[in-house]
Amino acid sequence: MFRQILSAQWLASRLAVVLLGVLAFAAPLLSVFWGGDLPSAGSDHVAYWLQGSERIAALLPYLALLIGVAAGFLAWSPDHAGRHVYALSLPVSRPRFVALRFAAGAAIVTAPALALFAGAIVASLSVSLPEGLHAYPVQLTIRFLLASLTIYAIIFALSIATKRAQLLTAGVLGGVVFADVLLAAWGVQFSVTAETLVLLTTWPGPLSILAGVWTLFDV
Amino acid sequence: MSNAIETQGLRYRAGKDFELRDLAVTVREGAIYGFLGPNGAGKTTTVQLILGQLRPQSGTISVLGRRVPQDLPAILAETGYVPERPHLYPYLSVVEAIRYHAAFYPDFDRAYADQMLGTFEVPRERRLARLSKGEMGKLHMLLVLAQRPRLLVLDEPTDGLDPVVRRDVLSALLDFCSRGAATVFISSHLVHELERICDWVGLLDRGRLVAELPMEAFKNGIKRIRLTRVPAAAGATPFEVVSRGAEAGGEAWVVRGWEPAMAQWFQGAGAEVRAIEDLDLEDGFVELLRAARGPAA
Repeated sequence: MFRQILSAQWLASRLAVVLLGVLAFAAPLLSVFWGGDLPSAGSDHVAYWLQGSERIAALLPYLALLIGVAAGFLAWSPDHAGRHVYALSLPVSRPRFVALRFAAGAAIVTAPALALFAGAIVASLSVSLPEGLHAYPVQLTIRFLLASLTIYAIIFALSIATKRAQLLTAGVLGGVVFADVLLAAWGVQFSVTAETLVLLTTWPGPLSILAGVWTLFDV
Repeated sequence: MSNAIETQGLRYRAGKDFELRDLAVTVREGAIYGFLGPNGAGKTTTVQLILGQLRPQSGTISVLGRRVPQDLPAILAETGYVPERPHLYPYLSVVEAIRYHAAFYPDFDRAYADQMLGTFEVPRERRLARLSKGEMGKLHMLLVLAQRPRLLVLDEPTDGLDPVVRRDVLSALLDFCSRGAATVFISSHLVHELERICDWVGLLDRGRLVAELPMEAFKNGIKRIRLTRVPAAAGATPFEVVSRGAEAGGEAWVVRGWEPAMAQWFQGAGAEVRAIEDLDLEDGFVELLRAARGPAA
């Protein structure tokens, strides 16, 4: 049963996942090629190379975000179109079915992470790192995977939430933005959106995985 | 004989304009039950309640001797359901859709599904999004029949299909029923179609069950009686008068619960019967609906 669910979910999301997987594979390689060959480079070149690496690293959380959103959204979009009638007519308890679907989506999310790992390994092996610098392909992959899974879990949950829960979430988000508009109109130097983002992206916020060190090479 | 479907005091309200009230449907095991009603009567809502897709405000539902919603997975394991609108994943190919569906039903008969694909001439590798309405209807039917279900719940299964496809689908259904003791609950507004295949009929109108009776009783028990001389006072009749209407040279009565011996009542009441006519299901259906809606409708 799980195999068929995984297969169906893969067919629904493969285009997006393959495209994002290619980007995930290419990202560590880009950070290397952007910097050039380290041993022959001077100290300026190392600085340039590290700068490029950091730029690419800054894009990785967004890539993880995209993967999570795509997998979460595509996990249920065919069911939304059919008003969930098919899912509800299958002889599986609803919690079990949701768990199977979640697990299938999570398995799909690991594919781009594996692509990133492969890219990170190739990138690590293709350069000779100067003393003091190290490659962290495993750590980067785990961070990327956890970030993708976190976003996937949030979007997955929102996708199958009741209309009321979805409206409530949209209302809270809209409220935050509206509060900012009001504060700005009154000249108050305080951003609710910025504070909320800080709250969410710093530990123990649910999105804290998106913040932190995303570079493949570090001291 | 036990009941395959039984609802008691079912009430469900959707918005301001629609409500199912005190719905008591009883489908005997082995029956082919036609659930008739005009568009918007509440047929699909009833089907969704029976299959646990909607929760009633009050009332009880039991299917195959089990309670809804408590025992839903066990019920659905033995129930084949064809919804009003196609619900399969459009990006799957026919073969992939069959494989997916089969994974949920341990008794799924793959050989039968394969054979029916050939019989129905449904292209195996085509994506469901590219199937015609007729091909999709056939695919839905073959999927539920290959489940080998004890209960088939079909919601307008032939609506919008051309006559050839409709005949194919219905003959596959009848063939399946003739082999085993499956119960069929088929909702439709295509009265003539149900007349051919059903042995029980329930009539739903505006969320109320207007009538529920064996097809034979429906066919033989509902008559149009043309009178040239009308009884002075109708009083208590041995049959139920569904409707009375004036016509040239007398009156036409539509009666329910008719038996041939009841003709004597008219003689006793001083009336003269010109003709006693059979009503087909559609006429009977229309008359019962008119009666249920009352003169104001």
